[in-house]
Amino acid sequence: MADEPLPLLPHEERLPPRSDLWVAAGSLTFSAAILTLTFRMPTYTDQGGQIYTAPGLVPSFYGVVIGLLSLWLAGRALRAGALSAAGKGEPRETGNSNARFVLAAGLGLIFIVGLIGRMPFWLAATVFVTVFVAAFEWQPGLASTARARRFAVALAIGLCTGILVTLVFERVFLVRLP
Amino acid sequence: MLDSLGQFGGALAHLLSGWGVLNVFWATLLGIIIGALPGLTATMGVALMTTLTFTMPHEQAILVLVCIYVGAIYGGSRSAILLNIPGTPASACSTLDGFPLARQGLAGRAMGISTSGSWLGTLFGILCVAALTPVLSEIALKFQSFEFFWIAVFGIVIAGTLAGGDPLKGYIAGFLGLFIATIGQEPYYNYQRFAFGSTDIAGGIGLLPALVGAFGVAEVLQAMRGPAVQAVSSKIDSVIPRLEDVFKYWRTILRSGAIGTFIGILPGLGEDTAAWSSYAAARRASKEKEKYGKGSIEGLMAAETGESACVPGAIIPVLTLAVPGSAPAAVLMAAMLIHGLNPGPNLMLQTPEFFYQIVAMLLIADMAKLFFGLTLVRPLLWILLVPRERLMPVVFVLCVVGAYAITSRVFDIYVMLFFGFLGFILRELKFPMAPLILGLVLGDLLEKNLTRGLVLSGGSIAPFFTRPVSGAIAAITIFSILWSIPGFSGRVAGLFRRRPAGGQAT
Repeated sequence: MADEPLPLLPHEERLPPRSDLWVAAGSLTFSAAILTLTFRMPTYTDQGGQIYTAPGLVPSFYGVVIGLLSLWLAGRALRAGALSAAGKGEPRETGNSNARFVLAAGLGLIFIVGLIGRMPFWLAATVFVTVFVAAFEWQPGLASTARARRFAVALAIGLCTGILVTLVFERVFLVRLP
Repeated sequence: MLDSLGQFGGALAHLLSGWGVLNVFWATLLGIIIGALPGLTATMGVALMTTLTFTMPHEQAILVLVCIYVGAIYGGSRSAILLNIPGTPASACSTLDGFPLARQGLAGRAMGISTSGSWLGTLFGILCVAALTPVLSEIALKFQSFEFFWIAVFGIVIAGTLAGGDPLKGYIAGFLGLFIATIGQEPYYNYQRFAFGSTDIAGGIGLLPALVGAFGVAEVLQAMRGPAVQAVSSKIDSVIPRLEDVFKYWRTILRSGAIGTFIGILPGLGEDTAAWSSYAAARRASKEKEKYGKGSIEGLMAAETGESACVPGAIIPVLTLAVPGSAPAAVLMAAMLIHGLNPGPNLMLQTPEFFYQIVAMLLIADMAKLFFGLTLVRPLLWILLVPRERLMPVVFVLCVVGAYAITSRVFDIYVMLFFGFLGFILRELKFPMAPLILGLVLGDLLEKNLTRGLVLSGGSIAPFFTRPVSGAIAAITIFSILWSIPGFSGRVAGLFRRRPAGGQAT
């Protein structure tokens, strides 16, 4: 163990070269969009302003740097064999679930866009937390009493969250709630 | 000296008067809980509490945030030891030896080592804050726009190079953060950049909603996507730290404290780099290398001391240069700005009492951490067992409240949501987050100083390279970029390698 390299953190692991090539293409497009928008900005030189105070100068500098770094990333990915069959990388078992991600993201989106502002915050928070807990703890084939018990727990957590968050932040921290 | 001690005593008394003691206790406890829960990080905790405490008097609000920061970095080790899952990224290193110790039935001893190492590390860092901040402030007062421009660029580059992972993606993340900071009205002509006619976007991207999104929402999404946490060991031996562990490894403690503080001072690196660097240095110097990774007390001590020493270290550049040393320190700096404080070289001139208050806050938080570390074992075990399905929606609700709290704009909730998805995607694509955050925080500083420098020099870029300090920081920055190019470091090392008489390099 003493001479083994230290284990990598999640963000230290490298993507397959093909994925890096896609990332480079995306950031290169983003850089081109920045440059297009900044070149359309006024320079105010006709009103006596100096070019180095032009509103688009600094963002265009960032756009150029992001573009150059993207080219570097693309070149590195190509050298690593991004276009070869091996460049796609091997699928790994990570235990991640895209279905759970979509469900969590969808519920969050509904909470923000659909519930907040349309009802009192405590109620919106209660509905969101209750549905979230109930949806993630839902299991097919459970007896109706067990399912009712789980839903009651979810409702209790939702009500506690809605009421406590409202009371603590509105009354103690004097924070306005959406 | 006596005057300084008097001011420090005054700051301590002021902070602990009234609601101070209560604030210290709940904030440190909350920090430890946030740190202990996998998926919740110190940055998220500080960002959330910044928005929720902004109606408090500034010294009490900053005290709460410092306690959250110190507590969360320490709390991460609990889940690292008991679950083999780091509560915060900073505690990833503690899993290497903490969890094997727990499996050997020594979870309590491991937590004792974590408590003593963390307490001593923060104490070491506090001494460095007290000793170095006035000196560095004095030096920083001589800096002009040219130097501040390079310090901001250096921060982005060094965070990209050393934050771990792919330096190239670190640079892209940093410049993406800088770009996002340019959205909204620019300072010279009030031109609305990238607003597309929206008055909300023209007001700029709020730093805190963006941080709450990038750390809070993104972490909720990641936690829900990832595999479930495994069951925790429930048998705990004594958590009282053993003095023999401290005395036996005093060299490791001092070395890790120095490394942690130094890494804290470097812009944007943070506690995870500090922990890994301290651990690696301890392993290199150790007489018991074979124990590392199998339950080494020295290894755990090094990681805990390093990460905790980094906390005060990361506050030093905030106080002296207005450049944060870590992601949570970036949020802390934003909180100082919100409360009307002026972090940077002028802080010691305008509000010297705040410097003593910060030192006092760190000391108070460190003592509260020690108290909870020794007493709070069972309740933390129960909290660690809360399923993510029940915890994460509550965190999401708090993120929404936090994003909305400061300006009461629904737009900020959308900003939070956008940055939540952006943060999630960037993490999936293996972009480090520290440079992005640093870019967001330093964007304003960089742009203002670049433009001001150009105005002062009449459009010439020469002073950016020819002024001594500016030139030196520029050289280090460029060298850091070159160093990350594969093969460059080997070639430089080859230049200095001795060649045999035959002329062939070995």
